Formats: sequence, C-alpha cells, structure tokens
Amino acid sequence: MPLFDYTLLLSGRYHDMLVAGLWLSLQLLAASLLLALPIAVAVALLRLSPLAWMQRIGFAYVELIRNIPLLAHMLFWYFGAPELLPTGIKEWLYARNIEAVSAVIALALYSAAYMAEDIRSGIRSIPVVQFEAGRALGFSYLATMRRVVLPQALRVTVPPLISQTLNLWKNTSIATVIGVAELMYQAGQVESASFRSFESFAFASCAYLSVSLIITGLASWYQHRYPVRPAT
Amino acid sequence: MRRTLLAAALSAAALLPLQFAHADQLADIKKRGELVVGVLGTDEPATFVDPKTRQIVGYEVDLANAIAQKIGVKPVLKQIAVAARIPELQQGHVDLVAAGLTHNKEREAQIDFSLTTFVTGQKALVKKDSGITELPQLAGKKVLTIRGGTQEPNLRKAVPGVEVVTFDTSQQAFQALQQGKGVGYVDDEAALLRSYAKLGPQKAKYVVLKNNLSTESLAIGIKKGETALKAVVDDTLRELEKSGQAEKIFFKWYGPQTASGFQSRDFRFETDKISE
Repeated sequence: MPLFDYTLLLSGRYHDMLVAGLWLSLQLLAASLLLALPIAVAVALLRLSPLAWMQRIGFAYVELIRNIPLLAHMLFWYFGAPELLPTGIKEWLYARNIEAVSAVIALALYSAAYMAEDIRSGIRSIPVVQFEAGRALGFSYLATMRRVVLPQALRVTVPPLISQTLNLWKNTSIATVIGVAELMYQAGQVESASFRSFESFAFASCAYLSVSLIITGLASWYQHRYPVRPAT
Repeated sequence: MRRTLLAAALSAAALLPLQFAHADQLADIKKRGELVVGVLGTDEPATFVDPKTRQIVGYEVDLANAIAQKIGVKPVLKQIAVAARIPELQQGHVDLVAAGLTHNKEREAQIDFSLTTFVTGQKALVKKDSGITELPQLAGKKVLTIRGGTQEPNLRKAVPGVEVVTFDTSQQAFQALQQGKGVGYVDDEAALLRSYAKLGPQKAKYVVLKNNLSTESLAIGIKKGETALKAVVDDTLRELEKSGQAEKIFFKWYGPQTASGFQSRDFRFETDKISE
C-alpha cells in the first residue's frame, strides 16, 4: 500500500475535481440558506399566528419535514415532484441542471423547518407585553412583528441559526444520491478513478471541517460583537 | 509541518488493517466454514433478489456456489455497493467479489482476478426523439449511468465532452432516463437489454446504439497475493467449463428464453489475461 500521497490533492486533475466539488457544495449551501431563511420566518409567523388554521399549517409543515429523513426528501424532489409539472416546464427544467435545483429545494425546505422552530423560540423570548404595546399603539399584527418583535427576536436567534447553517452545510453531502457533483460525489469519483480512497476522503473531510470551523468562528464573533440585549 | 503530521497520522491509520491480514485466506475460509462473497444483488440477472423467495440468485451466485462447494464450505452472500467492491475485498470483509467486476489493467495493481467469467460490451440506450444514432452525437449531452464502475470512465473515453450524471444503482439511472433527465443511459449490454425489455410498449420510444463503448471482461475479484484461493477459484471455473456446466449456467440466466436473449455464448472460462 503506497503512502499518503498528498501531491494528488494539491494539483492535477483530481485536485481540480475535488475543488470543483467543494465550490458546488458552497454554492448549494448559499442558495439553500438564502431560500430557507424567508421560508423559516414565514413558517414561524404561521405557527405564532392568532388564527388557529394558520397555526395548523405551520405545525403540519414543521412536523412533516422534520420527521422524514433528508435522504427521502432528496429522492422525492428529484424523482417524484418534478414529474407532476406540466410537460413544457418539465422539459425546460430537465434540459438544465435539474439535479442541483432539486437538491437546493430539498435542502432549503428541510432546513427551513428547523430554522422556523429556532425563530419561533426567539420570538417567544420577547416579552409578550411588547407585542401588546405595539398593538395598543395601533400597529397591525404584521407591523408589530416587523417593527418591534422581529428585530429583537432575530438577534437572539442568530446563534441557533448559525448552528443550523452548520447542519445545512453537512447535509449538502446527501445531494450526492441524486447525482449532484458536489464534494462527496467528486471524492467518490476520484476514489473510483484513482483508488486513492484515503486521499480523496481526507480532502473532503478537511474541507467540511474547515468550512464548519469558519461558520462556528463567525458565530462566536457575532455573539461577541452583538451580544443579546436583555429584553425588558 | 502540520500537513506532514496529518499525512503521517492518516497513512498510519490506512496501513493499520494490513498488519492484521492473514497469510493464507483459503485456510481461514476452511476454518471458518464459510466463503463470504460480495455481490451487488441489484444487477439482474448476474445477482438479484428473487421476488418470490427473497433470496439473492443469479449467474454469479451459481458460480460462487460452485466455488464454495469445491472448497467444501457454505457460501455466504454479502450485498455490497458498486464503489465499495475493491475496498471491501482489500480490507478482507469479503473473500471474493462476484459483482459485475470489470477486469482492467488499472485494477490489476489493486487486486487479482479469476479467469474471465463473462464478456460484455457496454452500450448506450437513447431516447428516439433525441435524434441520436451514433455515439459521438452524445457529446455535450447529459448521459446517465451507475457510479463507481467502469461505465463512466469508458463513456468519457469514447465520447469526449459528454456530460455524465451518475447514481448509486442502475435502476435509479434508468428511472432518470425514463423521466427525461438525460438523453442516454449507459450500462453493460446484458443489464441494458434487460432494462430495455422491461420497458414493454414504451420500447418504441428508445433505441440501443449499435456500437459498443467498450468491451469488458468480467471476472471474480480476489485479494492480491492470495494464490491458493485464486487456484481453487480458477480450477472450479475450468471444471465447470469442461463438464459443460458453465454453458448451462450461462443459458439459464442469459439464454434465448430470458429477457437478455443471448443466442450464443462467445467466450469460455479459459484465461485470466486481458487484451490491451
């Protein structure tokens, strides 16, 4: 068994494949995060809505998503859901990068369920009198949320959201099952082409670890820079 | 500095399993009383789950059983993934790999191979409305296949500039073709024709391209340096050939009355050398 050959990771074709995978993984992370955040806020607001049927929709969404493994979501959004689209749209989509699109949708919807719960906790940590004061001043439900409650709540929510981002980052690796050429996929390709299992997965592990550590670093910097102001 | 340390630690970990490797695997198999054979179980008719009995059966299973019988032990089938075939064998989790394994020069450095047990071409199946009739026309198009085998490298070699998307099983890749997520699907001829046959009336919408991407010699994989085990495997295969049993097993799974529909058997269990 030859020794660990890290030159393979620093230049050449295998290096390019792995870096391309890392880049695509980062793109998946960015796209899903941007898509997940607004969905998460909307779902959190649904769950805290004064109307019972809205609460039920929010509840159903969170439970439906959280209780099914991401792998199943991934396969559903790739093999299942697009088949329901009208033929014209379907063909247009299939001619493009349907793999990555499905992965982003699955990841965003999945992460949004978890993030919604974090945001809901954040909102609930703001004393209810603030909400009542807002309403008493004549703001509507949404306006009170937007101008009074959410600015404070989101600040409290940032640390758990960053932790969810960490999960999202690692979850991008599941996209490999639907043929998205992200980091795990490329590591597998390099392995089967070169039989260098150790080198390729060492690269993938180090890359996942480094990005995770950067995200964690951001979290602690944020907490230091913008400490949670106790709501009174 | 830090990189060398990490590299040293990782390579030490990589070498660890080797130090526990036994000198003679055949003796271990006899002592254990069972021959563990890695199979795919998703590769009809080579190895697949019989829907009635829920047992793994197939062409490669019959060969594995014959080898176990020759050694005088019980065959135990272990399902493995395409990409895991060589690592599973190297790490000693399985004694043999009978899993549609292509014998090629690159792999000879990693493992040993038995006599060639099957010869197949790799072909492409395309949607008729794509207008593709020759392999080179696949360039720049999305083609679907299975991950971790020789299909993808062979496809890239035969059609430079092709866009390949791979899946864990050939069923998933084939499903993606049916849904129109690519214009073509590549697999070993026998597996491809079987998938094609399963399309039923939909068959008219697809066409199998005439030219092979490549010709593959499949063989049973054996851990490198296990000469005693390789000798038993090869002897078994030679005996099967001599007794006419090899021919019978071939036609049982690939013959004219099966979905693969091979009319003749164009190879023999005679050599463990490959051309090229």
